[in-house]
Amino acid sequence: MSTIGRNGRDGTTLAALRAAEVRVGYGERAVLDGLELDIAPGTVTAVVGPNGSGKSTLLKTLARLLRPDAGAVFLDGAEIASLPTAAVARRLAVLPQGPTAPGGLTVGELVEQGRYPHAGPLRMLRMQDHEAIRTALALTDMTTYAARPLDGLSGGERQRAWIALALAQDTPTLLLDEPTTFLDIGHQLEVLDLIRRLNRERGLTIVLVLHDLNQAARYAERLVVLDRGRVVADGAPQDVLTTALLAEVFGVRARILADPESGAPLCLPYAVVGRD
Amino acid sequence: MEGRVITRATGRAAGPTTGFALLPRSAGARRFPAFLAGVGALVIALAALHIGLGTVRIVPGEVAAALLGRAADPVHRQIVWELRLPRTLIALVAGAMLGLAGALLQAITRNPLASPSLTGVSAGGVLAVVAWLSFAPAGLAAAGVLPLLALAGGLTTITLVYALSWQGGSDPTRLALSGILVGAICSAITLILLVLDAQRIGSVLRWIIGSVNGRVWVHWEILWPWALAALPLGLLSAGAANALGLGDATAAGLGQRPERARAALLFVAALLTAGAVAVVGAIGFIGLIGPHLARRLVGDDARRAFPLSAVVAAAILLAADVVAQALTLEFPFGDATRRAGLPVGALTALLGAPFFLYLMLREER
Ligand SMILES: Nc1ncnc2c1ncn2[C@@H]1O[C@H](COP(=O)(O)OP(=O)(O)OP(=O)(O)O)[C@@H](O)[C@H]1O
Ligand SMILES: [Mg+2]
Repeated sequence: MSTIGRNGRDGTTLAALRAAEVRVGYGERAVLDGLELDIAPGTVTAVVGPNGSGKSTLLKTLARLLRPDAGAVFLDGAEIASLPTAAVARRLAVLPQGPTAPGGLTVGELVEQGRYPHAGPLRMLRMQDHEAIRTALALTDMTTYAARPLDGLSGGERQRAWIALALAQDTPTLLLDEPTTFLDIGHQLEVLDLIRRLNRERGLTIVLVLHDLNQAARYAERLVVLDRGRVVADGAPQDVLTTALLAEVFGVRARILADPESGAPLCLPYAVVGRD
Repeated sequence: MEGRVITRATGRAAGPTTGFALLPRSAGARRFPAFLAGVGALVIALAALHIGLGTVRIVPGEVAAALLGRAADPVHRQIVWELRLPRTLIALVAGAMLGLAGALLQAITRNPLASPSLTGVSAGGVLAVVAWLSFAPAGLAAAGVLPLLALAGGLTTITLVYALSWQGGSDPTRLALSGILVGAICSAITLILLVLDAQRIGSVLRWIIGSVNGRVWVHWEILWPWALAALPLGLLSAGAANALGLGDATAAGLGQRPERARAALLFVAALLTAGAVAVVGAIGFIGLIGPHLARRLVGDDARRAFPLSAVVAAAILLAADVVAQALTLEFPFGDATRRAGLPVGALTALLGAPFFLYLMLREER
């Protein structure tokens, strides 16, 4: 990846992903309207916001799963809608919220699908495909589950299998919609540690939707707060997480401390104040 | 935590040393070659038995001799070559086509109860045949036209079904629903036509029920080109079906165009169904039971489930027709009453309906 390719014409760093004036919705109703977002390469960004605020819609739009009615999404500077979808899938992997698969499929077979955009027309697996699958299973601690059917797994094990699927795609950019749902606290931290490791060791660009604000503050360098389809705050966690924002967006009264472990802000909500 | 880190380290270390350390395979993957070979052998045995059955019964040894041109009785040789071999080949290939079509449809609709009759293709094909028999001038009702009509009817129906289910995008459930709807309407029109013109019932019945009786080389000539084109297409779409099975969002994330893939796979399933229905009529339940049993044996991965569905369905159709032929009875056949085997479609429906019920009850749980 050349430095020239990374830089825009005006000399600024080219965003790995950029949403420009995006308007998306389902049917008539626009969920996101005129949304602007730049994701710098090699960063971890957490998208937070109340239920129904448009987080999944934003992620699906960034992953070209939803086509904007207006505006455009750019992947490494190229308009994503103009790129061949298989080429996009080799550069960007997405874990949708609440995915489903035939229950008789095994973990190994599911993760193998991650090689879909890489494989040839006959879909035969080559050496590097097996390697990527093995690595994805090992990273999510699912190697021993490879031969197990999905319908015989716990919710958390299944979630890890889906994360492994996205990892097997072996892309420089990863979009994850609530990757920690169904996971116990140990596996939540493990997935978040894995995300941090993928970012630091392999330079992956990661955008993830999280509901736990404290985890978001600790693991992401940037928080994007969505409310009713608009970005209401965006920046470093300590700048974004304020008592005013928590009251405004989430309708809770909270105390904010500094995490003695990491220095990240720590919210302690103690009352519901409701929202207008 | 420590333990997990070690697992990861060894997991990665195993790679370079063994070079190609394969993951533990699922039970389905391990069993697949044995099942494919086993059911394949069963198909061959059933085929040998099937050739021998009919108005004139020929023992398997004599069948083999006749096939090799060394039959003691020249009449046997003629029967085997002229009448029985094409009938058996047609049963085998039509069964495989219906089985593969069912497997494709179950994958597309993500519904284990889907089957070729669900898409309306069978009913549409039958309607085209019946309409032709009712309205075409008597002189034009040549037997060779009927299969082509069934094909045209089937493909028209699937286009209609797809168009009806389209609402700014296709959706597996809507697709299944509009298939059932269009199929029901086609069947109703067929029945009305039959009631209006009752004397045709005899010649039309075997299309509606489905039968391989009286199928000879002319019919094989119609079937094999379709089979040769559609069976490989169906088997090759297993990879796409696997991706599509993960839901539209995941499939699109993997670089597939779900809408396009669904339409393409649906078309392949329709080709398979229409080709089979064109020659043997609307034999039911084969395309439901075959794929279901196959997935039970080797799991949901389409690369295994698809070929096994084809082979299992071929075996079921042959076995059903072996039974049907053994139950020879008086059967209204055209203008005359002839001794002929029970139409196999009646038997598959008889056995298939309870199986369907059993499936539904199982799914309910
Ligand atoms: N397929 C759809 N059809 C119609 N409306 C939808 C659809 N998906 C989402 N919406 C609506 O769009 C809005 C945003 O939904 P979205 O899924 O993006 O929210 P979210 O922030 O991800 O919520 P959650 O935290 O509950 O996952 C909601 O009002 C929702 O009702
Ligand atoms: Mg969501």
